[in-house]
Amino acid sequence: MGLLELQGVTKHYPGVTALDGVDFDVAAGTVHAVVGENGAGKSTLLRLIAGADAPDGGTIRWDGAPVRFASPRDALRRGITVIYQELALVPNLGADANIFLGIEPTRRGVLDRARMTECAAAALHDLGLFIDPREPVGRLSVARQQLVELARALVRDARLVALDEPTAALTAHEVAHLVAQIERLREAGISVIFVSHRLDEVRRVANTVTVLRDGHRVWVGPAAGLDEATLVRRMVGRDVAYERRPPSRAPETMPLLEVAGLTRAPGFRDVSLTLARGEIVGLAGLIGAGRTPLARAIAGLDPWDSGTVRLAGRPYRPRHPRDAIARGVVYLPEDRKRDGLVLGMRVRENVTLPVLQRFTRAGRVQAALEAAAAQRAVAGVDLRPPDPERPTHTLSGGNQQKVVLAKWLLTDAAVVLFDEPTRGVDVGAKTDLHRQIRALADAGKAVLVISSELPELLALADRVLVMREGRVVTQLAGAALSAEQVMAHAFAV
Amino acid sequence: MSASSRARDWVARYGVGAALAALALVAAVFVPGFFGLENLSTILLHVSVNGILALGLTFVIVTGGIDLSVGSVVGLAGVFAAAALTGSDVLRAVGVAGATILAVGVALGTGAAVGAANGAATAGLRIAPFIVTLATMTIARGAARLFTAGVPIGFPAADDLLFATKARALDALHAVGGGRIPLPGLARGFPVPALIMLALVAAGAFVLERTRFGRYLYAVGGNEEAARLSGVPVAAVKLGAYAICGLCGGVAAVLLTGQLRSAGPDAGLLYELNAIAAAVIGGASLLGGVGTAWGALVGALFIGVLNNALDLVGVQSFWQEIAKGIIILLAVLFDVWTKRARGASRHA
Repeated sequence: MGLLELQGVTKHYPGVTALDGVDFDVAAGTVHAVVGENGAGKSTLLRLIAGADAPDGGTIRWDGAPVRFASPRDALRRGITVIYQELALVPNLGADANIFLGIEPTRRGVLDRARMTECAAAALHDLGLFIDPREPVGRLSVARQQLVELARALVRDARLVALDEPTAALTAHEVAHLVAQIERLREAGISVIFVSHRLDEVRRVANTVTVLRDGHRVWVGPAAGLDEATLVRRMVGRDVAYERRPPSRAPETMPLLEVAGLTRAPGFRDVSLTLARGEIVGLAGLIGAGRTPLARAIAGLDPWDSGTVRLAGRPYRPRHPRDAIARGVVYLPEDRKRDGLVLGMRVRENVTLPVLQRFTRAGRVQAALEAAAAQRAVAGVDLRPPDPERPTHTLSGGNQQKVVLAKWLLTDAAVVLFDEPTRGVDVGAKTDLHRQIRALADAGKAVLVISSELPELLALADRVLVMREGRVVTQLAGAALSAEQVMAHAFAV
Repeated sequence: MSASSRARDWVARYGVGAALAALALVAAVFVPGFFGLENLSTILLHVSVNGILALGLTFVIVTGGIDLSVGSVVGLAGVFAAAALTGSDVLRAVGVAGATILAVGVALGTGAAVGAANGAATAGLRIAPFIVTLATMTIARGAARLFTAGVPIGFPAADDLLFATKARALDALHAVGGGRIPLPGLARGFPVPALIMLALVAAGAFVLERTRFGRYLYAVGGNEEAARLSGVPVAAVKLGAYAICGLCGGVAAVLLTGQLRSAGPDAGLLYELNAIAAAVIGGASLLGGVGTAWGALVGALFIGVLNNALDLVGVQSFWQEIAKGIIILLAVLFDVWTKRARGASRHA
């Protein structure tokens, strides 16, 4: 009998179905790995297990009885600990204080610090970590902080520990240590859920593997005897496909943007690529492969350490986004709410923000000119309703993304860098956005698209660069461009 | 948008104005002559310094910042201005008119300089504005006390060789800070400080609503990262906001010094808190991105009318403080409530 059993669990977020009727069982004293592409639903699964979100449908059984976690605290109390990638430690407190946070032992109402330190040290020793438990955890490496979180779970008698991408930021040596600790947890009868992008580790530590794709469980089975190519094929599948949008013109032979040996540690290293007018280049890779840092550097948001960029044959090194915009390079960020829009402002005010100087005479904004430009811009991206005076926060995700697009179209930039342009928007809006991105290239712009959704890249891009661990590992085009090839390079199979 | 969120939007925009009108009506019932021109112009005079400071703070608050130093700026700019106005060497060199102009320039320059320093530290060094302006608040106050040795600067000693000239210079500045301009229906005329406040609020409203700089202020306060990505010169915009706030402190210093014919080092003590209160009551959000010049005026008037009405019906000033505190709490609750409506409609 399983310790944790999820049956037909469904979770919707605005605009997306993150999990659709997923079954997931964890037996006592086993390690269950979860793999899948970016956006397959792994994080959502963990959030449900952690009690951070409630499922919209289906049931969760814990220890044989149906449960509904009221809160993360509730799940924690029942013995479930989820360790997220962004570690949940208080950096200024020591390991001892962190481990006992919320369950501090006291003597006559006063914190029993000696006992906390002693117990914490013992728990950390069990995990092979010999540190002073009073040292602020902010000074520890990520690997050691993870072990502190594990110790916290053990002190609280956790029966199930879930780790989200625990090895993403670790060195090979640290990974080996962590894997050994996971083995020991299993031997102690504790169940482990292990979410990872690194398939070799999955095969090493897991008893069972679940493959998620687009919110569905597409495969579950024993880890023994799995080969990585099979795993990748299962992760990729091919049930989503967008209409391929072929270019109506050939790209120019002279590149507009030439990037050579660009490095910004630790985000990306020695990246070289070219971008010509009239083409769409896709940038594939796993989360953390360095795609966003690369685009941000080219757009002038972050400086680079070394390497050169030439734009239209001339040296290009923007000091801030203003420089990049002035040279015709714009970046459409992935996180609209955080980076893309001022939600408290009207649509008009958002779309004219980068080009406000065009409508300004002696410091004063010419309302009529601005309104006309905003009207044209929102009509151009098919905003519904096409009302530039609406407060931006009242629009749906797809419409907000169109506002971002309208804003940058107004700048009439030559190089457009898209970061996950269709994340969180519905299928209809996606198709619209694809059409508009292709229209940009056809209008002679050089377009770079970062996307974690492979079908999207396959439908849009003329060629695809694959990044892994900060480097561009391959370029795929024509017959060589397939989902399997991209994933194989992204995962280093 | 649902009807209820529409209602909240309306309330968010006009609620304070409506509350001010309601307060005035209630005051009129209890206080005979409340709506008389004399009383109204008295209220305007009383709120003029706070209104000007609240206007300046609104610029800073719209960017998501705060300025605690503006009260001390009033003190420092005041003593510098008074020293320039009544300095014997100055008066001998440039005369009464020259000294008056110089004093005004010194006050405005001091205010703008301290404000710009606040802005530079906040935007350039990325130090939290609360800490930066807490530091300049203390520094400016200390500098004012040091400069004056703790004694007010102003009215000359009886044996001063330039007694008559200095008195005339103080009179000249008093024409600004305490002057009246004739207005039919008002026996004593309309107070000049109130006129200056109204003009500054109108100018502030123009800058906030109609200029590129104003648009940038809202963008920076609404989402600094999105603004930066859009090419907004975030650091320069913040610097401008703090400089304007300091400048308003300089204007207030001129009015106070002129009105009192002297400047003490403790002038403007705790004025920043009253100004923040007025800005917040007037709808500015300390989270940034929200606030208007007219709101600052309405907020200052709200406090002024409340004090005026309670004064006239003879309520103790201690009760007035308690009432003001409650109003501030209500205003913030109000802000949270309208924000929550926004959050909800985002997912509607």
